[in-house]
Amino acid sequence: MDYIINGIIEALKLLVSFNRELYEIIFLSVFVSSTATLISSIIFIPLGLYLGIKNFKGKKLFSRLLYTLMSIPSVVVGLLVAILLSRRGPLGFLELLYTPTAMIIAQSLLVTPLSLGLSYNLSKNRGKKIERVGITLGARGVKIIFLLIRELKIDLFINLVTVFSRAISEVGAVMIVGGNIKNRTRVITTSIAMFNSMGNYSTAIALGLVLLAISFIINSLIYSYHQEDY
Amino acid sequence: MEIKIKNLKKYYNDKLVLKIEELHIEKRKITGIIGPNGAGKTTLLRIISGLDEDFSGRITYDNSTLNNNIYDNMTLVFQKPYLFRRSVYDNIAYPLKIRKKNKAEIDKRVSEMLNRLQIYNLKNEKAHLLSGGESQKVALARALIFKPKLVMLDEPTSNIDPESIKTIEKEIKNYNSNEKATIIIITHNLEQAKRLCDNTIYLENGRVNRINGFL
Repeated sequence: MDYIINGIIEALKLLVSFNRELYEIIFLSVFVSSTATLISSIIFIPLGLYLGIKNFKGKKLFSRLLYTLMSIPSVVVGLLVAILLSRRGPLGFLELLYTPTAMIIAQSLLVTPLSLGLSYNLSKNRGKKIERVGITLGARGVKIIFLLIRELKIDLFINLVTVFSRAISEVGAVMIVGGNIKNRTRVITTSIAMFNSMGNYSTAIALGLVLLAISFIINSLIYSYHQEDY
Repeated sequence: MEIKIKNLKKYYNDKLVLKIEELHIEKRKITGIIGPNGAGKTTLLRIISGLDEDFSGRITYDNSTLNNNIYDNMTLVFQKPYLFRRSVYDNIAYPLKIRKKNKAEIDKRVSEMLNRLQIYNLKNEKAHLLSGGESQKVALARALIFKPKLVMLDEPTSNIDPESIKTIEKEIKNYNSNEKATIIIITHNLEQAKRLCDNTIYLENGRVNRINGFL
């Protein structure tokens, strides 16, 4: 029990002493995951909203495939991206493997089905009503999508946070394509796994606390935004 | 806007719910659609408004089929209106904003509309938190603000207070005479139909049973 308490105390000391390595890991994690979230959301949230309100052939099959992809294991995505980016792979000439860019690509691919699926589902359930009102007032095409984004902004914001949470908490993809290289591609989740296996519990706990703090800050933001709207 | 319907058939899961051989809705008149529940009144309105395109038959609007220009000149107010999650002012201004009207004109027209429907005091309220009668007034204001030539109203006064009914009926009448618009209104209230409508259509089991002369 003592080593857990000592670990927490050491972790707090590391955090307040602004340990450089620790903060580099934190900043890289936030940068990689927020970029991946942004990339996947800019295109796929509007697309999901559009597909949700449209009737098209094979929509049921599309829904099932999409929901399956939403739970794709991160290691599978990591493996796929690693194969593509490896020296002998089709995109090997880009020399991106074991770089933050590769990590962003892997996380973007991992969370894209989630971005698409969550907005698609939201629009499928609540978008039709909004679309109908928009049409009766003269809105068409892109104006309907903007109307949906504005009307569903709270839910979309929550979806965005869910997507970011999935990105920042995954370990498989970034471990495979990033390689957990010190000062280069080491992020919170890969570090926790590594420090734990090394028996360095204090740093692992410190990073775990940071993940919890990020989650708390994001949830507080959602809560205040939610309160403001109602 | 004059509407002519010919050989209209609408099925729901192989069941024929609407069959109208011929129907003419006169230009610049208020036409009431009356009938029991399940008669096909709302379905007819949804088809005329273009929200339901899954039917057979022909509908013309001033001798044209449905196109973007006609869409731009018609509106439908639902029985349970959906108001956007923004202020009353922003709800009513929305159709003008998407038509790229300038701010001064939007301000002027929205203020006039708020006054006409006696809801100026609600201008800055959150629309989705209003009561039933207030919501209907905002929905009507939002629908009329861009001066459509065809206005469809699906039971606009059901379950609201008598004062609000009076205000809404007055606005419908005024709009019809000032803008020379065609108005189609679904109502269960025969007294209201008498007060408002120039023509009436009685629908029963998806068929036009009678036109005029039964009130």
